[in-house]
Amino acid sequence: MSRRRVLSIVCAAIYAFLLAPIVVVIIASFNSGAFLTFPPQGLSLRWYSTFLHNEVFIQAFMTSIRIAAVATGVSGVIGSMAALFTARAQPAVANSVRMAMIAPMLLPEVLTAIGLLFYFYALGIGLHHSVALIAGHILLTLPFVYINVSTALRGFDWSWEQAARSLGASPLTAFRRVTLPIIRPGLINGCLFAFIVSFDAFSTSFLLKDIGVATLPLQLFDYLRLNFTPEAAAVSSFTVFATVLVMLLAERLSGSQRRRP
Amino acid sequence: MSRRLLLMLPAALVLIFLIVLPYANIIVISFRPLSPDGAYGQGFTAANYVTVLTSAHYWRQIWTTIWIGLVTTALALLLGFPVAWDLARNRGRSQALRRAIALSPLLVGIVVRSYGWTILLGNNGVINRLARALGLTQSIIPLMYNRFGVIVALTHVFLPFMILPIMGVLQELDPALEQAGRSLGASPRTAFRRIVLPLCLPGVQSGCVMVFILTISAYVTPMLLGGMRVKTMPMTVVSTLIDAFRWPLGAAQALVLSLCGGLILIAFMRLTPMRWNR
Repeated sequence: MSRRRVLSIVCAAIYAFLLAPIVVVIIASFNSGAFLTFPPQGLSLRWYSTFLHNEVFIQAFMTSIRIAAVATGVSGVIGSMAALFTARAQPAVANSVRMAMIAPMLLPEVLTAIGLLFYFYALGIGLHHSVALIAGHILLTLPFVYINVSTALRGFDWSWEQAARSLGASPLTAFRRVTLPIIRPGLINGCLFAFIVSFDAFSTSFLLKDIGVATLPLQLFDYLRLNFTPEAAAVSSFTVFATVLVMLLAERLSGSQRRRP
Repeated sequence: MSRRLLLMLPAALVLIFLIVLPYANIIVISFRPLSPDGAYGQGFTAANYVTVLTSAHYWRQIWTTIWIGLVTTALALLLGFPVAWDLARNRGRSQALRRAIALSPLLVGIVVRSYGWTILLGNNGVINRLARALGLTQSIIPLMYNRFGVIVALTHVFLPFMILPIMGVLQELDPALEQAGRSLGASPRTAFRRIVLPLCLPGVQSGCVMVFILTISAYVTPMLLGGMRVKTMPMTVVSTLIDAFRWPLGAAQALVLSLCGGLILIAFMRLTPMRWNR
């Protein structure tokens, strides 16, 4: 057997390993029986309907969406600003800024969350009004926006913006008509990734949630410790489908923007 | 110039107020005394560190955590390298699909992925049922609630963090370099070892560092797959903080673990180039 053939067989096995747990969850979600059994005892959407009628899960889902939207919005703005700064900074400055901006991703999530927990208590805010929770999610999402916008800015020529200025555009117009279209694909991708990361985050939410607040991953984790019905699989699969849908939509969105002259 | 600095201001404030100060505060809290009627008392003491450092119980857990981290990192490298190579070099029609599969774990929540593994590895899970149906075994193969299950699931959960940086360096690597080595008489194996490996070392290093950090601080996966029978340090830290409400001790536990992890990373970064640049 040739080397190439061996490599492709090995890789196929690894791809199967990567997909296996996700596929299994999706199959389990269509189970019509009351317990998680394999192979499923017949197909049905029963557990999806149970999930959609379960107030607890729906509420958690809405909380997750809300937190992710706020965190992504904030990170989207300040991450892009930092990326714009880095692109024009001296190489030495740019390097240290880059390291600092990626730091939240490299630091252990649990440790950062513990830090925020102590800190917000010391400030007297505690975990009320989800301020600490949102702060934690901003840290989680910031590097993703920053990295993606920075990548989009690679090769950007600042004389383009100056050209627009010299033709009479205000700084804001020059930014909106020249710079923004160029960073848009990176910004969309970055925000999308940020949103998904926030939506799926566990440790940060676990340590920083206010009493009575639960995001979907927290609710799912709680449920899994006591229950074994396929409802958890339906909830999980629902999030997988939603993610894929959003990804496809964004692919369309950022693709069509790029083609526009 | 000053207007340009304004662009950096919000991000700088976030980093200072939400990273630098909270981390400094963890260190401060770890030196506070325990208090019976609050999260911590006033004054300073090293007692929490003494408790952690002199306890065989904690050292066993730190060792378990680091051992799981090292094995997971090695496994992720073993599985991640071929995939990174395949994605960087093999530009078939299926490249987009393969890429999506390789990164798919990133887009699915960690709770969902760990849950998928419990369905696969459980005592009545897919693999055990299959083995019994095929007559391979009559008894239950213990795949979960032990280190094996935790390591398998952790490897899966963090594999993309190994694949991405290695793929990055391999894409930059010109295949002509390897061919040059081959044309000068090197065997494919020698060309790989002497040319490809040293050049993709930065990617391998950052992949290993990321996976190791993520693994030793993982909480959900060991919790769901280990079912309290595999005790890792992050689980202890969380229960000290949340259940026992003993913040200074939890902070000291977390910092001792981070310090041990950091020392291992430093040793790793020192040793790797020496081995390959010989």
